[in-house]
Amino acid sequence: MDILQFAIYGLINGALYGMVALGLSLAYGIMGYLNVAQGHLIILGAYGSYWLFRIWGVDPFLSIPILMIILFIIGIILYMAVYSWLLKFQVISRLKSSLLISFGLMLVFENMAILLWTADERAVTTFYSGKVADIFGLRLPYIGLGTIGLAIIVVVALHLFLTKTYFGKAIRATAQDWEASQLMGINVARTYLVSFALSILIAAPAAAVISMRVISPGIGVEWTNYGLVLVILAGVGNINSILPAGLFLGLIEAISVYLVGAPYTGMAGLVVFVLVLLFKPQGLFKGRAAL
Amino acid sequence: MLKIDEIDVYYGDLQALWGVSLAVKDGEMVALVGSNGAGKSTLLKTVSGLLRPRRGSISYQGIRIDQQDAHKIVEAGISMVPEGRRLFPDMSVLENLELGAYLPQARQAQQKTLRWIYDIFPILRERETQAARTLSGGEQQMLAIARALMSQPRILLLDEITLGLSPLIVDNIFEVIKQVNKLNHIAIFLVEQNVVLALELSDTAYIIENGRIIGQGEAKALLESQEVKDAYLGIAPASGETD
Amino acid sequence: MGTDLKKLILFLLMITLFALIPIVIKGDYLLNVLFLLFLYVVIAQSSNIMVGYGGLLNVGQAAFFGTGALVTRLTWISGTPFYLAILLGGFSAVALSGFIGLPSLRLRGHYFAIGTLALAIIARITIGNLFPGVSFIPNEYIVGYSLILRYYLALFLSAAIILIIYLVFNSRLGLAILSTRDDEEAAQAIGVNIFKYKVTAFALSSFFVGLAGGLFAFFYISYYYYVPFGLLWSFEPILITFVGGAGTIAGPILGSILFVALKEAFAFTLGEISILIFGIVLILVILFLPGGLVSLPQKLRGRTGKPIV
Repeated sequence: MDILQFAIYGLINGALYGMVALGLSLAYGIMGYLNVAQGHLIILGAYGSYWLFRIWGVDPFLSIPILMIILFIIGIILYMAVYSWLLKFQVISRLKSSLLISFGLMLVFENMAILLWTADERAVTTFYSGKVADIFGLRLPYIGLGTIGLAIIVVVALHLFLTKTYFGKAIRATAQDWEASQLMGINVARTYLVSFALSILIAAPAAAVISMRVISPGIGVEWTNYGLVLVILAGVGNINSILPAGLFLGLIEAISVYLVGAPYTGMAGLVVFVLVLLFKPQGLFKGRAAL
Repeated sequence: MLKIDEIDVYYGDLQALWGVSLAVKDGEMVALVGSNGAGKSTLLKTVSGLLRPRRGSISYQGIRIDQQDAHKIVEAGISMVPEGRRLFPDMSVLENLELGAYLPQARQAQQKTLRWIYDIFPILRERETQAARTLSGGEQQMLAIARALMSQPRILLLDEITLGLSPLIVDNIFEVIKQVNKLNHIAIFLVEQNVVLALELSDTAYIIENGRIIGQGEAKALLESQEVKDAYLGIAPASGETD
Repeated sequence: MGTDLKKLILFLLMITLFALIPIVIKGDYLLNVLFLLFLYVVIAQSSNIMVGYGGLLNVGQAAFFGTGALVTRLTWISGTPFYLAILLGGFSAVALSGFIGLPSLRLRGHYFAIGTLALAIIARITIGNLFPGVSFIPNEYIVGYSLILRYYLALFLSAAIILIIYLVFNSRLGLAILSTRDDEEAAQAIGVNIFKYKVTAFALSSFFVGLAGGLFAFFYISYYYYVPFGLLWSFEPILITFVGGAGTIAGPILGSILFVALKEAFAFTLGEISILIFGIVLILVILFLPGGLVSLPQKLRGRTGKPIV
């Protein structure tokens, strides 16, 4: 039952990819900001998880609330210092400008991280790292189960927030028509601020999980890649399909590893991605933008 | 209550309004008429805060509002039904209405306001759960007006609400507008290409052309005036031309 | 034509000055730094062709740089004369651009950017797997290694691309390319064959990037095969172009000078502070000086700079 085992690893990875892509999709769907520094920000969070573990022995899963606060604050600072100025651009320029700015931020974060913590790779190892639950001969890593659980919680929580709370609805309204939203008395500038900070903080669970894999200053790019791929696969602005798209990608990767071996892991997803871009750029998943 | 004083408004480097002055009194219905591109929508957008005048001032209840953010102006009690309605297409009728009541004080009174809205626009209750996108033109316009009313405004700005609607629906809607104006004492400032209708309904009217106010006065009087008849009502001078 | 003549004279003056340096100044340090500068000018200007003038955000440049480097390296090591090898590198990059460029140009705006990025990553991973080791050159080559030759090659290449950009973008071809950038629909409406010009810009850009890659392979004695495919070769030229001023000739030159200067200034500190600073400069430029550093004198004089982005 080899392939089933691979599939399980694929699903676990897919859940993680989904969590990584969620913030990216949120920022893009609501404000039209493409934040390619998302991966680096997640790694910053992962560093946070690492140091919390090293210095105070806080388990990564338990550190998530703390990471959420840290990332939220970072998001607010980032927005006020950098992204808020983008509001004066028209929507078309916003995309290009935010792309370039987040390039710049990537460089800043990466080199900051090298200066602060050296380029060494790190990882959090807990007592349950590497341990698995053995069910019907299949190995289910505990961390992997936690990952999938987290992904479901995050997606559901976000969905409830956006559909059931007043502020969530305001966010969706702003995404659909920001001028009309102002006419409702919605403070669009503040909504953007919170939305941006939300898009960062929502990656806290992903940061915790990644801290148990491998952390290094430059590795953020790989996660951003997955994020970008999923945003396109799910269909731009379609937040509800991010997790399914992630699971899909994870499975594709798993199958390709099964067939051609590990060195080409990254390729499978990318090839699918390029194919989708060329033949179905509106995304694989149906459903109008969930925002 | 609302006083617009000699405002100049620009789109980038292009001037759209020249020294426009206007007033809307408590509970009044004021019309602004003029042809396409005369600057009517620009004026409403400026009052609602989406645009800022470069010169002049706008005050409401004695307080200047022309430099304030749009959402603050809604808070002050001025609500606009924008050109093209600008509903939130993927949200339901109810959600659109809920968003109209976003302001804290409006939110508290939401249930009461909603009951009133459903009274005057019963069709909206029927369509409560439908996405705004799926409504007919007339229903969308009703929703847009209802949504603006949810914020409990003292002045309602209406931007070209008759566009694309059949006369029957237009009559229907203006019945409600009249009611809202007379019974609920909500002042109405409407901008219209349909000159006759606008002048028939309003108390006071202003005429705008090429970004300048060229006439004002009691609406009924303007309706009878020769200039308006010539310019807007298509009554051709007798010289052998047939319709 | 007055200012153009002045610019031409200035240009020739600079070239002459640079050409004299190996004769006047002894020692390799300056030559090495200037080589790097010229290399960056070439790849930045190539990026400028696509992004600044053509309005196509091509993030996949690393794939072309790498291809040029790979082909040049392999052919050169097996005996081909260096100038042929470098030319082959250039042509192979053009071939690649034809192969990828044609389908990818169907993508609009940010899809093109993400798509080309994906391709660059695919190339990087593939090469990393196919050629996992270090590339060495035979000892005879090391013995006969001439820094001065490489210096002049790089100078020549950067002068060439500057000249070509000047000629192209003052011609009808250039006008057509610019029109596709500024308003694609309008251009189509007046009969411009958008696709043809995008392909031309792509081909021109990749040719020079390929040559630059060849120069890289000719310059460095040993390196991991995957290095010229690294994504930095995609990002850095774009950053340099935007910081300097996209869509101008002087912009990428200015940006490259700043970039290399920063790199040298901070060469001995850990963690590339130069890049950190450059990142901050980029953010400031995008937000407050959209025309790039070249537009600074205009801005200071009080005229509004026209944003190229």
